Parts: sequence; C-alpha cells; structure tokens
Amino acid sequence: MIDKVKKELEIRFPLLKLVREQHNYLHVKVERVSAMDAIVMARTSLGHSVLQLISTVDRIEDDVFQMTWILENYSACTVLLISADYPRENCIVPSLCQIWPAASAFEREIFEMFGISFPGNPREGEDFLLEGWKDTPPMRRDFETEEYAMRVYGERQPREHLDPRQYIGDIVGEWNTPMGRKREEEK
Amino acid sequence: MYCNQPPEKPGNKKELLEKITNMARANSLWVTAYGTGCGAIELRPLHTSRFDMERFGIAMRPTPRQADVLIISGYLATKTLKRVIRVYEQMQDPKYIVALGSCTINGGMYFDSYNTLNVLDKYLPVDVYVMGCMPRPEAIIDGFSLLMQKIKDGRAQGWKHYKENLDYYRENQKKIITDWDLPDYNW
Repeated sequence: MIDKVKKELEIRFPLLKLVREQHNYLHVKVERVSAMDAIVMARTSLGHSVLQLISTVDRIEDDVFQMTWILENYSACTVLLISADYPRENCIVPSLCQIWPAASAFEREIFEMFGISFPGNPREGEDFLLEGWKDTPPMRRDFETEEYAMRVYGERQPREHLDPRQYIGDIVGEWNTPMGRKREEEK
Repeated sequence: MYCNQPPEKPGNKKELLEKITNMARANSLWVTAYGTGCGAIELRPLHTSRFDMERFGIAMRPTPRQADVLIISGYLATKTLKRVIRVYEQMQDPKYIVALGSCTINGGMYFDSYNTLNVLDKYLPVDVYVMGCMPRPEAIIDGFSLLMQKIKDGRAQGWKHYKENLDYYRENQKKIITDWDLPDYNW
C-alpha cells in the first residue's frame, strides 16, 4: 500500500527525498514550494486524510526550521510524514486550517513556541500555552533557558550548614514533637 | 463589597478564645481539592481507604470557600500560579498552605525551566514544606501533623503575613505574571 503512495509522490514530485521507509510508514522530504501540494495530494488522492500532528525541529546549524506534517490513513493503517525546510528568519509557513480546522491548535502552539507565523490561521496570536510571553519564543535553540530562569525566577541561596536547627531553630522539626523531646531528654 | 482596612488584631481578651478556636481548627482541616502538579497523584491514596486522612479530621472540599488548607502539590507553572493566587484569595480566614515536593522548595528538577517558578514563598506564604520527590502519603501525613501542631501553638500565621506584606507578594507576583488581570485583593 505504502509503495503505491511512494510511486505516486515520486511521479508528481521528482525532487522528493526519501528519509525512511517501513512496511506501513513513509517519511519523505519535499521542496518547500511543493510542500502544500504534496499535503493536498496526500489528502485528496492518496487517502491520508487524518492530520495527526504538525511538528517543528529547530535546526540552527542549517539555519532552517524543519516542519513535518504527519498524515495517517486509518483504513489502510499507513502513516505518511511530509517534511520541508523553511528559513529561520521571519519564518512564514502556509496554514492548513482551510483543509483541517484541527490544524489551528497545532499552529497556535508552534507560533508561541517557535515564533513561526501561519498566515491564514483565523486564531493566530491568541494565547495558547504561555500567557503574556514577551521574550524569545522558548523552544527556539537561541533562547537561553537557564539564564532566563535565573533572571526571572531567581535562585534560592544554598545553605552553608547542614544542621537545620541553624535556620529554623526550634520552630519546627522532630525535636519539637513529643517523641523528639523525649529523645532529647534521654540524651 | 470590599473593605479598605485590614482586620484588627485580637486584643488580650480574645487571646484565650483564639487558643480554644485554634484547637478546634487544628482538628478539622478542610483541603481544597485542587492539584497543581504531579504531586496530586499522592493525594489519592491519602484520602482513600489505605491511608485515610479523614481519621485525622482532614477532608477534601470541592470549593475554596469551604476550605482552609491549600496544597501546592509539586511544580507550579506561572500560568497555574495565577489560578492558585485566585483560589488562595477566595479562601476564608484562617487559611494555610502546605507545599509538597522539592519543586516548591528550590525548583527541583525544573530549576532551569522557562515556565516553572523556583521559590514558592516569594509569591505565597507557605506554612509547611514537605520534602521529597514526590513525598509518600506517610510524609504528607507527617506534614499535616506538623501543621496541626503549628496551628495549636498559634504559629501558623502565614495568612496574616500575607495580608501585612501584601505589597511585597504582589510585586513578586506581578514580576512573573505579565498579563495581570486578577481582581484587587479584599480583606
């Protein structure tokens, strides 16, 4: 079944690269101009009509975002992954909301986490996971997570002594419970 | 509906009454059924038959208006902190906070997360910390017995501390919650 999908895609997109193939799984990489055509073709004529996930990888070494659309065919039990690279600066990826309304949630999440814009998504820019985020999008690899956490949330100063009595005195602790007091007296 | 003045401190005549009411308060702790992180999973065995916290007079309540203990169970994201503040401020006086796990003490394994706060007592007054990742139900029962002892001795005054130092807590809260839309606190 997946062989037929592969053949059809290779005829239509000659520049297609095969990433990985198994008996019911196919991962292909297409040029970014033909990514939307490949997705529409997979949905309309190849039977992969369920959008399972849109995932993004920040490949900062190549200066690209690798977008992957995971499409599933439930009747044939096959999975098709279509990938494409988009440049990192002012990244714009076409929205799939017209085809799958459910793509809206994935795209809003990617917009918050990576700063990738999806023109055509009617709910773009609405709060999804982060509320009122003003810094660099946190899943980008040029975002300094630890530096941000130290700057915003601060750090608890480590203790100089290991004896908790130095810090909390006799307020709390087992030496202040009836059992503890008895033990102290026995000493 | 709002009062402008903080409540008056009890005079000498009220102190005896306060001691008696503290005895009663310590023996009927009602907990808001609100789990913030992974630690909430340890509360299920605690309030079902195996560990059975009702034998200590601790019961779960469905609404913050009826409860006087708020359990911060595990890591706290900034988005959750906003809801926690709202729940805490809706609770009736006196109210106590029990914080579970190393995440509330110093960030735990999420110390460098972009979205999880490190030191809880900058934002809310904590009466008892229970250490562990996650604390077992026995440890939580131990923490509750400590809280009972503190209430009986009149030392669980976190709610008064919150009122008296509201500016300090608000400043810290607003530092990390960038889209502040909570109503002003009323006494």
